[in-house]
Amino acid sequence: MKITKSQIEASKNEGTDNISSEERRHFLKMGLAVTGVFAGGTILSAVSTVNKTYACTGDFVEHYPYKPHYSMLINISNCIDCERCKKACAETNDVPSYGFRTTILEREMQHAIGQKREFIPVLCNHCNLPQCTRVCPTKATYKNKENGIVMMDTSKCIGCLSCQMGCPYNARYFHEEKVAVDKCNFCFDTRLSKGKKKTACADACPTGARTFGDMSDPGNFVYQQVHQLEKPVWVLRESAGTKPNVFYTKA
Amino acid sequence: MNRTKLTILALAALFVAGITGQALAEGDIIFTEPVMGVIFSHDVHVEENGMDCEECHDDLFEMEALTAQQNDDFTMQSLSEGNYCGACHDGDMAFDSDTRCASCHIGVIGYQKATGTAERSTHH
Ligand code: HEC
Ligand code: HEC
Ligand code: HEC
Repeated sequence: MKITKSQIEASKNEGTDNISSEERRHFLKMGLAVTGVFAGGTILSAVSTVNKTYACTGDFVEHYPYKPHYSMLINISNCIDCERCKKACAETNDVPSYGFRTTILEREMQHAIGQKREFIPVLCNHCNLPQCTRVCPTKATYKNKENGIVMMDTSKCIGCLSCQMGCPYNARYFHEEKVAVDKCNFCFDTRLSKGKKKTACADACPTGARTFGDMSDPGNFVYQQVHQLEKPVWVLRESAGTKPNVFYTKA
Repeated sequence: MNRTKLTILALAALFVAGITGQALAEGDIIFTEPVMGVIFSHDVHVEENGMDCEECHDDLFEMEALTAQQNDDFTMQSLSEGNYCGACHDGDMAFDSDTRCASCHIGVIGYQKATGTAERSTHH
């Protein structure tokens, strides 16, 4: 379901005055511009500012240094916000109730034709050019040289939260018990290093909305979806220039 | 009294107590199993689309909220075989249950909004 600009403009907009700056920042961080509040302020509406297909630009189709080069493709059309992914993630990776390694955002448009809402799963984008690792003063967060995963060494974390502020995807939180910042690591310690082939979230998803993949393998489904032109594939907040490894598409 | 009036009266009387909570519209039912958050609205079906009670009761559904979800076959597979919502949501009479997932599925977020339970964490 594609929503045109005129449809958005035709719907009743109650203005953006009532959105807290925190909410606004949260959405802007995701590459979504807040366009207004609908339905008495209970629903926050946002449109994606990322409409350019990022994945197929010349500079992206290059030799990837990682092997395997872990990535994820998210099919928004299939997400039903059952949150089995969140539950599986929390159980697998000891995520407390006040934090998340992955979450689901909702976009709702009361006056859209047909389907009026969609759900957008988000997680660490395991960027090729991460800002978080660049700003960390102790190298507690770093890019794994073999597989490209953005990792945490909790013993080195001093809790300065620079990484959290540097992340364009709001993918980090402070884990009180670990006394360190925590984030998605594609279940590296809990699953991949033990021979499992998928992350807990992808494994738990009942609709196949999340596909875990390998960008170093031209035969891999995610690689193939990213390197084709017929169907749009995009990333969140392309303008941040971090070259994410989490891609989005629709059915 | 005509039939529509009777219907409206019946609905008003039946849903007067509200089903699960404050923000939930009258006559709305939110299924929670097997997955959290599928909305069924009597308003949309009866008022907006003019359906009779008999189209669903009691062949497809009991007049008791959350009965269907006690059955093992309350699944997408079963819907696509023409059962439950799938009796109409076949792409012919109403949009196919294999499309527009988030029309029926309001998810955990939708459930929490509708029932006013557990505000989404604002802790980042
Ligand atoms: C399009 C299908 C459909 C139509 C038409 C319909 N219903 Fe329902 N009704 C449902 C479904 C689905 C449920 C939930 C059943 C379940 O959970 O197993 C339900 C549940 C109910 C319940 C139980 C509510 C509760 O809180 O326990 C009542 C009462 C009811 N319907 C009355 C009516 C009346 C009266 C009409 C006609 C004015 C009507 N329904 C028309 C589908 C329909
Ligand atoms: C007796 C036929 C019938 C049954 C059974 C039925 N529906 Fe519908 N439904 C319709 C029709 C007709 C429409 C309006 C036409 C359309 O949207 O394609 C509709 C519309 C809807 C809509 C769109 C509402 C909107 O926002 O416009 C939703 C959501 C929906 N149904 C959910 C359900 C669910 C969930 C069930 C099962 C619990 C169900 N329906 C069972 C006939 C039915
Ligand atoms: C017409 C309404 C309707 C539509 C459209 C719909 N669903 Fe469902 N879905 C249901 C109902 C009803 C249930 C059973 C109740 C529950 O799980 O809360 C269900 C259950 C499910 C389940 C759990 C049971 C199972 O089959 O494994 C999954 C997964 C699911 N839906 C995925 C989807 C996806 C993906 C789409 C879009 C391709 C979709 N649904 C579209 C009504 C719908």
